[in-house]
Amino acid sequence: MASIHKLLIGTYIHRNFLRPRAAVPPFVGNHFVDYSSSSLQKQVASANKVSQQGKTEEGLQGHDHKEVALDVPSPDRTPEVSFDKAIRDEAMEHFRRLKDEIVAHVRGPDGRPLHEVIMEQARVVWQFREKEDLDKWILTSDKTIGGRSEIFLKMSKNNRSALLYGTLSSEAPQDGESNQSGYCAMISRIPRGAFERKLSYDWSQFNTLYLRVRGDGRPWMVNIKQDTEFIQRKNQMYSYFMFTRGGPYWQEVKIPFSKFFFSNQGRIRDVQGPLILDKISSIGFTLSDKVDGPFFLEIDFIGVFTDPAHTEEFAYENSPDLNPRLFK
Amino acid sequence: MSWVQVNLLARGLSRGWGSICRTVLSGTPFAQPSLQARGLHCSAVTHKDDVWLVPRPSEPQKKPIKVPAMHEDLFRPSGNGEQDKASFLNAVRSFGEHNVRKRGHVDFIYLALRKMPEFGVERDLSVYNLLLDVFPKEVFRPRNAIQRIFVHYPRQQECGVAVLEQMERHGVMPNTETEFLLIQVFGHKSYPMLKFLRMKLWFTRFKNINPYPVPRDLPQDPLDLAKLGLRHMEPDLSAKVTVYQMSLPSESTGIEDPTQPHIVGIQSPDQQAALARHNPSRPVFVEGPFPLWLRNKCVYYHILRADLPPPEEETVEEIPEEWNLYYPMQLDLEYSRSAWDNYEFDMDEVTEGPVFAMCMTGAHDQATLVKWIQGLQETNPTLAQIPVVFRLARSTGELLATTRLEGQSPPHSPPKGPEEDDEAIQAQQRQGQS
Repeated sequence: MASIHKLLIGTYIHRNFLRPRAAVPPFVGNHFVDYSSSSLQKQVASANKVSQQGKTEEGLQGHDHKEVALDVPSPDRTPEVSFDKAIRDEAMEHFRRLKDEIVAHVRGPDGRPLHEVIMEQARVVWQFREKEDLDKWILTSDKTIGGRSEIFLKMSKNNRSALLYGTLSSEAPQDGESNQSGYCAMISRIPRGAFERKLSYDWSQFNTLYLRVRGDGRPWMVNIKQDTEFIQRKNQMYSYFMFTRGGPYWQEVKIPFSKFFFSNQGRIRDVQGPLILDKISSIGFTLSDKVDGPFFLEIDFIGVFTDPAHTEEFAYENSPDLNPRLFK
Repeated sequence: MSWVQVNLLARGLSRGWGSICRTVLSGTPFAQPSLQARGLHCSAVTHKDDVWLVPRPSEPQKKPIKVPAMHEDLFRPSGNGEQDKASFLNAVRSFGEHNVRKRGHVDFIYLALRKMPEFGVERDLSVYNLLLDVFPKEVFRPRNAIQRIFVHYPRQQECGVAVLEQMERHGVMPNTETEFLLIQVFGHKSYPMLKFLRMKLWFTRFKNINPYPVPRDLPQDPLDLAKLGLRHMEPDLSAKVTVYQMSLPSESTGIEDPTQPHIVGIQSPDQQAALARHNPSRPVFVEGPFPLWLRNKCVYYHILRADLPPPEEETVEEIPEEWNLYYPMQLDLEYSRSAWDNYEFDMDEVTEGPVFAMCMTGAHDQATLVKWIQGLQETNPTLAQIPVVFRLARSTGELLATTRLEGQSPPHSPPKGPEEDDEAIQAQQRQGQS
């Protein structure tokens, strides 16, 4: 009876480990204006997208599947011992992470001394120097919903920057309800702590996003998602454009956080407010400019910094025609 | 007698459903007129749904089948077979003349929206206003609060939103006439009016946010397109665009001269100085072709670059002697940045070899690029002593297909050179820049 219980627990953990959670749905399309009669269709499409992206993530984790399969011994040899060992190792790993987090918390915010954090003016959030840095990102395109776009991510030839490349195709999938399609997106994973707790970035003391990129002249969308516990908010994000110049020179893109506008499911909302920077969960890049063909984008690093010359709080004031209740 | 019955039924339909019932119930007892009455009754029932959407009189069932074909006929090319704005306007006007009551206007407007790219009027605001003018006026405006709460005439409002959506997709800014037409057709609080307000608000905000603007209509001449692309890529405004070779069309009647492609290059004074200081014992590389997208057209360029010099060769430039005591050549100030004043990222940025020049050519073979190098030697004499290595990527089928789709001349396969056999370099170059 006890061994059966252990088997069940082991199986549950095994299944949980093998199947990661669904990816965050990306920003779809550059539509700017909302229309409520089409929201039902978009929600249905979004639901399909979420489920299929889960499958895609399983595909993305195929390598982990193989590793796990190799690590798991054959069922002929003492499965109870292997399950116990796996459970114990996993628990010890999580407790070790918890200990590291507690020690870092005692030392200061983010594990650094307080005076260093207070006087910090620039911070590198994402960099691409090893292959492990690429695992922090999720790739998705409309191939998951039946389109023909594809996107890949790898290290550049010099092994010091990330190369995002693929093909964009605006051919709509033949599912009977989509008449526009064509997007490629790269989203950062939500940072996780001990026991798979959700963490977030705190960028309260900075006011500008900095990207060092090299592109091919195509415009991209930069999307920032906040950390929120509500299911209804999972499609809300703040977006802005990143225009790449093209050519062999590196380009420094500086986007103030005041320029990001609030959008939901790819539509700009009527009520706009500034981006709150204390709980940022992920950042994403979306290409959907309705131009079919190959694309590439090289990314050196992504950071945030304080621009003392930029004092704007929010760039988009609300309109009394669209939001009369805000002006009563 | 039957004519009188039909007339009575028609008047009953025009009044309302109750009148229709009373007229049918009070029909004559004759067998044949009774059958006719029942037939007309079924016809009325068939058209019941239309009454709620479109306020139009009853019609026989055959008519709606012909409406799409009739609308398609309006957009057939005319006698001269030309498809331009005049023929499009003529088609829209023909619909107005053909249908004084605007029957089937929603289908016609959807069809016109699909036909716009064929006639080349998808970025013309007056054409969109003309399409909005096709809607009957004052019919779809809500007259009380209940009609305003529930979407009044939803199919027509969706069609209006579709027109505005296509305007938005092609970047057409609506004007006062559009607003007036929307108010006349749908009213102030309708969904097309809301979308119009949103377009007016956000188009003005996003109109000038591109720091590297590309003109709406790209030049058709490959030479002008190459100049535009090079100027778009070069961040130094003092760089100079040089045309090394014009493209000559092959004349079938004249001597059998080979067609020579155009060669356009760009180089800045700083790049010239850097190339002059380059060590002649280290080679420079011609790499490419790399893609550059200009709105929806892909052009390819090549670069002349070198590897990073070794750390010991990085000689610091010597400061010349002091020639004036009032303007010192060097200052040794003790100012330094502290922790609160450090805006630099704690990061080793990716540094690559210097790029000395860029060019766009009509062909991507080595012979053409050799001509570019020879042209560069006129303004860079030291280039004659520096060995030039060509690292040209072999074109793939996908690249060829894309190039043909975009209307570019396909790149020819380069002849074999000393560096050509390096497959790994080519594979990586094919996918991205070095």
